[in-house]
Amino acid sequence: MLLISVIVDCVSKSYSSGLFSKRYDKILSDISLEITKRKTVGLIGPSGVGKTTLAKIIMGLENPTSGKILIDGTDIWNAPSEERDTSLKKIKMVFQDSQGSLNPKKTIKQSLYDTVNLMGLDASTRESLVLELLDRVGLSSDIFCRYPHQISGGQNQRVALARILLVKPEYVILDEPTSALDIAVQAQILELLNNLQKENNFGYLLISHNIPLIDFMSDEIVVLDKGSIIFRGETKEFTEFNSLKNKNSFKV
Amino acid sequence: MEILEIQDLNVKFTTPIGEVYAVNNASFTLNTNETLALVGETGCGKSVIANTIMRLLPQNAEISGNIFYKGNNLLKISDREMEKTRQQEIAIIFQNPTLSLNPLYKIGDQISEPLFVHKKISKKEAFNKTTKLLKTMGFQNPSKSYEMYPHQLSGGMNQRVILSISLTLNPSIIIADEPTKGLDNELVKDIVEEFKTVNKINNSSLLLITHDLSLARELSDRIIIMYSGDIVEITKTESFFKNPLHPYSKILLNSLPERGFNPPKGNSPSMVNIPKGCKFHPRCPHKKKICSEKIPPIYSIDGGNVRCYLFQ
Repeated sequence: MLLISVIVDCVSKSYSSGLFSKRYDKILSDISLEITKRKTVGLIGPSGVGKTTLAKIIMGLENPTSGKILIDGTDIWNAPSEERDTSLKKIKMVFQDSQGSLNPKKTIKQSLYDTVNLMGLDASTRESLVLELLDRVGLSSDIFCRYPHQISGGQNQRVALARILLVKPEYVILDEPTSALDIAVQAQILELLNNLQKENNFGYLLISHNIPLIDFMSDEIVVLDKGSIIFRGETKEFTEFNSLKNKNSFKV
Repeated sequence: MEILEIQDLNVKFTTPIGEVYAVNNASFTLNTNETLALVGETGCGKSVIANTIMRLLPQNAEISGNIFYKGNNLLKISDREMEKTRQQEIAIIFQNPTLSLNPLYKIGDQISEPLFVHKKISKKEAFNKTTKLLKTMGFQNPSKSYEMYPHQLSGGMNQRVILSISLTLNPSIIIADEPTKGLDNELVKDIVEEFKTVNKINNSSLLLITHDLSLARELSDRIIIMYSGDIVEITKTESFFKNPLHPYSKILLNSLPERGFNPPKGNSPSMVNIPKGCKFHPRCPHKKKICSEKIPPIYSIDGGNVRCYLFQ
């Protein structure tokens, strides 16, 4: 068994439908997928289908009702807490609303340094690391003294990416990374994501409802509908599947 | 025939960080029974144009120019007359359908409210008109839907309710400000269909404001491209997608998914310190010396209008 990957094994999730209700609504049932390095898995489905919930389960932010998450062979919900923490450090997530995920009361500089300060580096290494990564995502140090609301959506998304690069993860979950951006900026961010993947051997889980985007970025595509997987296969196969279902009649 | 004519519209905001020139020398016309798409990146001044037409801008806005609607200058008429024009003549639909409805009122009451305010008709008549309207907008059981609240309906249904509200008084112009922002593909398809039915039943003109080029292609007859407060191109939608004129339009089209997500170089300028001359020149592959000195005028070629020295 290949140990260098994130394996989602038959994960199900149910929420109770009310505070005292005995009825449970099944959000996800028997989801299995695998994120490997240097590969992008695209997760697609209509809104409210549970895409983000699945991402949160993989990140260890929510516990699955049944099933297992294995990060490089460690079952994160059954491992000792120390082992669990080291495993979870390997996976990071970029959230949908990048502006909302930065602290509005802190400048971009403070937000970035908060992350490095926890790593126990000395001051000069810290600064050079931050500057290097800012340059990598295409930002200049001018934005250091700005607040999240003073910079554009695309710039916020880049800051969020720089923050993730600081901690050197191995897998990255991208939750609708471009849904709030204009098409021109979207193309810029996608190019950046592809370059970062090549340089750092990231494994991506890309969540979106935008079919052309998933088609363009992914090696493997998983389609969720009503809580379960209705398609899992390579991008080529997906194109056939999609033309069969003809769900994508609205496109240019 | 022209129904709305905008001449040399300039909008300037005075803010603590400086003066923001949101719209510069914008001139265009909207014809009867036409769908005109206004496309551009976030912050390029699209919504400012919409709000200027409706006179909804905040106090710190300085407006110059003319907006003629059926011969009246909308910027000069009194507030009272403007109130009559809104809804009755020109209706506007805002971005978020669920947030633009009042959560505490039944949707039927919200749809019939303009009828009471503007037409002063009886309750029964209003009810009949509302249910008829709901039916044309695709609600299967209109008298039941009349009693519902916005939170009981989906985003797409709320969008249809908003459209119904804008249609109650048969306006000649509907302005839709990003009607599909944040909605998924299925809903976008629904909304496209709705706009098409609206066009059929109502014969009104539509000013569609969006950053979604595929939506503009699906719906519009003509397209206006804006960049950083300037109108850079006005053409027929068909010829725009076949043969875009302005360098920025080309870049915009190339970043579409089906053309391979080719990203443009550089970022759009901030509205506070804008480049001199043509605002696009720092990112333009064809820039000449004159581009950084003087703002190009609008040139017309083969039915299209473009603001670029390449077409001199």
